[in-house]
Amino acid sequence: MEHRRKKILKAAFTLSCAFLLIVLGSGLWAAPKLIQSAKGGNCAACHTDQPALSQSHPDTKDMNLEACRACHTRENMDLTGKLPASHMHLLGGVSCEACHGKTNKPEETPMEKCVACHGPTAKLAEKTKDVKPTNPHTSPHYGTELDCNLCHHQHKKSENYCAQCHSFDFKTP
Amino acid sequence: MKKGDVTEKTLSRRGFLKTAGGAAAVAGFAAGGLGFPSQAQAGPDALPKKWDETCDVLVVGSGFAGLAAAIEAKEAGASVMVLEKMPTHGGNSIINGGVMAVVGSDMQEARGIKDSPDLMLADMMKAGLDMNYPELAKMVAYQSKDAYDWCKQHIGVKFTDPKMLLHMGGHTVARSCPTSIYSGSEIVNKELAKFKELGGTVTTRTYLEKLIRHANGRVVGAQIRTGYRFPDAGSGKVKFVKVKKGVVLASGGFSQDVAFRMTQAPNLVAEVNSTNQPGATAEVLKEAFRVGGNPVQVSWIQLGPWASPDEKGFGLAPHFATGPVFSYGIMVDPKTGKRFISELADRKIRADAIIRTGHAAIGISDDEGQKSCGGPPGTVGKLVERGVVKKFDTLEELSKAHDMPYAAVKESVDNYNSYLKTGTDKEFGRYLQPDAKPIEKAPFYAVRLWPKVHHTMGGVQINTSAQVIGLDGKPIEGLYAAGEVAGGVHGAVRLGSVAVVDCLVFGRIAGKSVAKMKAWS
Repeated sequence: MEHRRKKILKAAFTLSCAFLLIVLGSGLWAAPKLIQSAKGGNCAACHTDQPALSQSHPDTKDMNLEACRACHTRENMDLTGKLPASHMHLLGGVSCEACHGKTNKPEETPMEKCVACHGPTAKLAEKTKDVKPTNPHTSPHYGTELDCNLCHHQHKKSENYCAQCHSFDFKTP
Repeated sequence: MKKGDVTEKTLSRRGFLKTAGGAAAVAGFAAGGLGFPSQAQAGPDALPKKWDETCDVLVVGSGFAGLAAAIEAKEAGASVMVLEKMPTHGGNSIINGGVMAVVGSDMQEARGIKDSPDLMLADMMKAGLDMNYPELAKMVAYQSKDAYDWCKQHIGVKFTDPKMLLHMGGHTVARSCPTSIYSGSEIVNKELAKFKELGGTVTTRTYLEKLIRHANGRVVGAQIRTGYRFPDAGSGKVKFVKVKKGVVLASGGFSQDVAFRMTQAPNLVAEVNSTNQPGATAEVLKEAFRVGGNPVQVSWIQLGPWASPDEKGFGLAPHFATGPVFSYGIMVDPKTGKRFISELADRKIRADAIIRTGHAAIGISDDEGQKSCGGPPGTVGKLVERGVVKKFDTLEELSKAHDMPYAAVKESVDNYNSYLKTGTDKEFGRYLQPDAKPIEKAPFYAVRLWPKVHHTMGGVQINTSAQVIGLDGKPIEGLYAAGEVAGGVHGAVRLGSVAVVDCLVFGRIAGKSVAKMKAWS
C-alpha cells in the first residue's frame, strides 16, 4: 500500500511538473496582453516584452491614425495589412468597448456591428467594384453578405478567404 | 480476466487522476480524444446525462441536399436544426458549377430535344459500369423534372436561356440546365432563403462529433461542437442534441480528405489537387460507418478531366473545356499532336486517358467554338487575362507555344473538320454537334487540362426512402443520408450535372421521410 502511494505521488509530481512547464512555456509565448484602457499609439502598454516598432520609428505615444498617415500613405509605406485591424480601430478612436461592450469576457463580434459603423455591404461593394482582379466584396457565391470577420481579423493577421479556391491576389487590411 | 480486475484497475486509475489534480488531465483526455473510444465498440452509445437542445430533425450539412431536406421537413411541420461546420453555408454546392441534368425540362422542349427518364437512367448505368443501385439511380432519373420544377416554381431558381442547354460527356442528349449565374449558389442561396422564410436557421461553425445510437438501435441524438473552428478537432463547446425523429446526413463527399482518400485510393496523394472546398472531409461518413452504416463503393473517386493545372480549385477552365473544347473543339496529346479519346466520353474514361499520357492534354478551339463557353459573363476574357486559356493568331503559333508538332495538330484539326461534313467521327465515334462549325476561324484558343479530384461516388448505403442501411441489411432507425455522403446512385462514375439533381431528389426524399417518422420521447 505504502509503495503504491509513493508511486502515485511520484506520478503526480511528474505530471504537475509537466503541467507547470506548459503553463510557464505558454506564458513566454503569450501574445501581448490586451490592455483595454491603452491608447492606440501607446505600443508599450501592451507590448511589454519586446518593442513593437524599431528604435528609429518616431514616438507614437500621442499619435492617432491621422498622424500615422502623415508618413504612411497608400503610395509610400502603406499600412494596409501591416497592423492588426484592431490597432487601426484603436488608433482611429474606436475602443475595445465599442465592439465588445463593457465586459471582462469579450465575445466574438457579429458582422452587424461592423455594418453599423461601416455602412451597408452593397455600398462597400460599389466602392470596390474596380479592384483587380475582381471585386472582393461581392461574389457569385455569397453576394455581398460574406461575414467581414472571415477576412478582416482584428486580433491576428487578416486573410484572403477567397484564396481557399481562387488565386485572387488581394491585400487584406 | 475476472470482472473484479477491471473494476480495480478502473478505480485505481480514477484515483490516480484525482490525486494528480486531474481535472485538467481528464478534460485534456476528453478534448484530445486520445483514440480509445467508443469507436472500437459496436454496441450502443452512452446517453448523455442531460440534453442541451431538442429538435425533431437534425440536418448535418447546408448544401443542396441538406437544405432540401430541411425545407421538406420544416414544411411537413417538424422542428429542424441545420448544422454547418464551416463558417459559411453551402458547402461544395455554393462553389458548384450550377448545372443540373433534367429530363423533359422546358429548355429541352424549346430546343426540340427528345429525351426520357429511361434514357437518362441508361446513361447513368452505362457510365456507372452497372455498379449503380438501379432503384436509386431510377429515383434520380424519374424525379429530375420534379426537382427542376421545385427549383423554379417553389424556391425561385433562375436558369439560362434554352440555347445554353448543355450536352455534357456521357449523356446521350443535351439535358444539362445551367442556372442563370452558372453557380450552384443560385440554387443553394434560394434554398436558404426559403428555409429562412419558413423560420429556419443554419448554424455555422457547428461540428457533428458523434451520433448517439440507443441500445434499441435507434439514432436518438448527437454530440456536437458549437463555435467550432475548422479544422481544429478540439475547438468549440460540446453540446448534446436530442433528436426526436431523425438525423439527416448531408455532409457531402471527402475529396479534400487526403488521409481518408488515400486509404481508399492510395494513388490520390496530397499532390493531386481537388476542385472541392477545404471542408469536404470524411468525418461524418466515418461516423455513419461507426454506428453501423454499410459502406458502398468508397474507393470510387472521380477526377474531373476538364480541370486546368494553371488555376486553383474548380476554377473557370471547366466552362471553357466543356463547350468550346469538348463539344466544339478537340483535345490532343501535345507529344503527338493527335486526339486520343472521345472528348465526350464519361469523366473517368477521359481523366484516365489524360493521366495515361503522363502530362496535361491541350484543348483546342477557335473563334466560333469559344462562343459556346458557359460560365459567368466574360468567362473567356477572364481566362485569357489570367493566362489559363491562351489566344493565338494561327494554329501554328498555338502548336509552337505548347511544344506540339504543328503538322500533326493541323492534321487532327483537318480530320475533325472533315468528320463534321460526314457527320461521323471516324476515330472515336464522338457525338458531333449539329451546329458545329469547322475549326478554322482565328483567333485560336488553347487550354491545358489535367484532372483534379472532384467527386466521391461511394458512401453509406441508403434505400429509396433515404434511410441509412446497416451492415445487417436493415434500415437504421432515425438515420437518413442524401447527396454525396450516400453511395450507390452513380456506381463507378457520376455523369456531369447529375450530382445536383441527385442531391435535390434525395435531399427532398430524406426530408419527407424523416418528418413522417414517429417521434420518441
